[in-house]
Amino acid sequence: MMSAFAQAVLNGIMNGALLAVPAVGFTMIFAVLRYPNFAIAAYISTGALAGWVANTWLGVGALPALVVAFAAAGLVGVAVEEAALARLRPSGALTVAIASIAANLVVENMLRFGFGNDLRGYDLPLRPDFRIAGLRIGPQAVETFLLAAVVMAVLFLFLRFARLGRAMRAVADNPDLARLKGISPRRVAMVAVFLGAGLAGGGGVLLGLDTAIDPLTGYRVLLSVFAAAVLGGLGSIPGAVVGALSIGLAEEVAMLAIPATYRSAIGFAAILLILTFRPRGLLGERAV
Amino acid sequence: MSLLEAQGIVAGYGAAEQILKGAGLRVEPGEIVTIIGPNGAGKSTLLKVVAGLVPMAEGRLVLDGRDVSSADAIGRARAGLAFMPQERNVFGAMTVAENLDVSGFLEPKAAKARAEAIYARYPVLAAKRRALARTLSGGQRQILGLAMALMTEPKILLLDEPSAGLSPKAADELFAAIVDLNRSGLAVLMVEQHALEALAISTRGYLLVAGRNAAEGRGPDLAEDPEIRRLFLGGA
Ligand SMILES: Nc1ncnc2c1ncn2[C@@H]1O[C@H](COP(=O)(O)OP(=O)(O)OP(=O)(O)O)[C@@H](O)[C@H]1O
Ligand SMILES: [Mg+2]
Repeated sequence: MMSAFAQAVLNGIMNGALLAVPAVGFTMIFAVLRYPNFAIAAYISTGALAGWVANTWLGVGALPALVVAFAAAGLVGVAVEEAALARLRPSGALTVAIASIAANLVVENMLRFGFGNDLRGYDLPLRPDFRIAGLRIGPQAVETFLLAAVVMAVLFLFLRFARLGRAMRAVADNPDLARLKGISPRRVAMVAVFLGAGLAGGGGVLLGLDTAIDPLTGYRVLLSVFAAAVLGGLGSIPGAVVGALSIGLAEEVAMLAIPATYRSAIGFAAILLILTFRPRGLLGERAV
Repeated sequence: MSLLEAQGIVAGYGAAEQILKGAGLRVEPGEIVTIIGPNGAGKSTLLKVVAGLVPMAEGRLVLDGRDVSSADAIGRARAGLAFMPQERNVFGAMTVAENLDVSGFLEPKAAKARAEAIYARYPVLAAKRRALARTLSGGQRQILGLAMALMTEPKILLLDEPSAGLSPKAADELFAAIVDLNRSGLAVLMVEQHALEALAISTRGYLLVAGRNAAEGRGPDLAEDPEIRRLFLGGA
């Protein structure tokens, strides 16, 4: 029993790290543009499939596939923003959020048209699991975890030290003041969308390294990703990481007690609880 | 030639009635000019229009000989204008050092040296480099806002109620800092609720009432004007 619990905790941390990448993407778009972009689901799938193409057609490994997926999903995100969402922003966050659900369906169906509905797996060397202190660990899961950690670390360094990263935090904090300092919120918004959608795409590759993927891969994890971002406080990047780890852990640990078909109930429950008791989220600065 | 000249400014927020109904002002090089007026007169709106945060429906704005009427806030910042708003004038979730750095966005190469000069000038900021701006006291925050405005080495500095919410001592220090900057050649256009104190250090002043210019004069003269003293000292 004890070891089953420890195994669930370990799996939960891995699961959480994997969710953290798209959750940070989602919350980053929210921080700068102030609307929840549900098309993130389709960006995850875009990345998963772009990474699959790079991996199986071009034969590249996980890291280059991640880069390809980041770029592909980022570009799709910017295209959707430019073509549809940006012009709706004056009508308010709710309008854009609804439009993003529609955009999600459009991109998802384009992916289905292009790739079909089949499940696909990445072409990866098969490596046996190893055991440490009675816990089963897959080498692929370790690699995925490390990739997620590296992506997060690069992002944190970018936001803390890069000129553009700081400009992005400034716009998230106070767009008018940023304009007075010569920073264009419009341009920063595009960068945020590219990075946010790119992170979603990177998350798609991490999912693909873990399980089989299809055009609905993103849709299946959307609730967990959204719950992670809400739990951490929408717009808070460290919050999204904490939220993702919490949701990841809760999902795995709950599986010890409830059937796997109820897995998505965890995300729902987390959203309800946090909105009831702490609407700003665990690390959120402002009320949503 | 005036450093800044605003003529016939008509502006407001969206569909509602215009707030400014033909206000105007000018600032000569080296001046401190103060705008005073009752609450809701449109003083903040006027500064926001000049800075480019609120669009003007009518009017003309000339900065250092250039017509900047159609320039946006970024263009006006580039043209040498800096504005410290009345509220939310620092990036609360960023450190003091990051606030200064990001305020030097337009000239990243010069930002480091300028920040060092600011730390030398305002030791209170140097001591708080790594503190988040939202953890600063009111006085420290206003100094940071002022310092951020200086990061672009502006030709003219716009300040909206810089002394608001400060203790009398902190307000005096802030006014001293403003006079000090002005002595080194920077023109200042400010709005102040502490009208008499502000007029006392001003070259000239404007009284704005209901979106229109109601009076104009030398700072000390306005401060002595019985009508204005009645308005701002409640009948004294
Ligand atoms: N963002 C806004 N949207 C709509 N109306 C606004 C906005 N900001 C100010 N107003 C309105 O414009 C009018 C003038 O406001 P403004 O802030 O310019 O006055 P003020 O002279 O600076 O007053 P105070 O002394 O209180 O700072 C007020 O009636 C105010 O309600
Ligand atoms: Mg005001």
